[in-house]
Amino acid sequence: MKLDPAIRDQVLATVPSLRAFAISLSGNVDRADDLVQETLLRALAHIDSFQPGTNMPAWLFTILRNLFRSEYRKRRREVEDADGRFAETLKSHPEQTGRVEFNEFRAALAKLPSDQREALILVGASGFSYEDAAAICGCAVGTIKSRVNRARTRLSDLLAIDNVDDFGPDRATRAVLAGGGRN
Amino acid sequence: MTTGKTVNLQGPPANEVKADEPEAMGKTATHRKAEVRLGREIQARIGQQLRGMYDEVVNQGVPKHIDDLVRRLTDQDDGVA
Repeated sequence: MKLDPAIRDQVLATVPSLRAFAISLSGNVDRADDLVQETLLRALAHIDSFQPGTNMPAWLFTILRNLFRSEYRKRRREVEDADGRFAETLKSHPEQTGRVEFNEFRAALAKLPSDQREALILVGASGFSYEDAAAICGCAVGTIKSRVNRARTRLSDLLAIDNVDDFGPDRATRAVLAGGGRN
Repeated sequence: MTTGKTVNLQGPPANEVKADEPEAMGKTATHRKAEVRLGREIQARIGQQLRGMYDEVVNQGVPKHIDDLVRRLTDQDDGVA
């Protein structure tokens, strides 16, 4: 297909963020890249249904999310382990300085229900408005707001518990965090 | 660098909660105050960490095979996609 280069550039410009979202959904870089590729194939095949001037990122994110969800339903066994696999990606990161706190955050994020994690990422990391995030997830704006709030509260609880009550092997790091920064 | 022997809750010294003491698990007033403060700090960190994690991927840009794919599909005169 011969596509308006401006549209093509909008598609390409969305790819990095689309990949980050795909990784956060699938917890696996290879699978995320497959998902992105399939999303792009589908999007380009139906590019006529994209209205120029509307939100290209939101359109592509919606396609990717729908693909992921339908695949998710098909592979139910894998689905149940989705959060586990998300946590599994933590292990690929060596515990370098600065990584410990980061991994603690990822582990906490992995404990969130997937709908809350997804809402938090769309709003807090991808930078979508509540309205766009609601359109992407096919739910009401109020639902997105409440998911984001619950996600923030739960993360805050998880990280606070880790820092105040949990005196595991990592407490030097936790003490630094509890002390309010790196000294 | 903090040594990590105790968790610094920044309470009055008399009420200082030592990490190794089981009382630290209880909800003392000092503890609660510390929780509120930690809650705010952690809330700010959540945003930072979330964007940091996400941007780590975003900064990798467009993988070459995906760039090639999009250009190949959009340069053809007859629809293949």
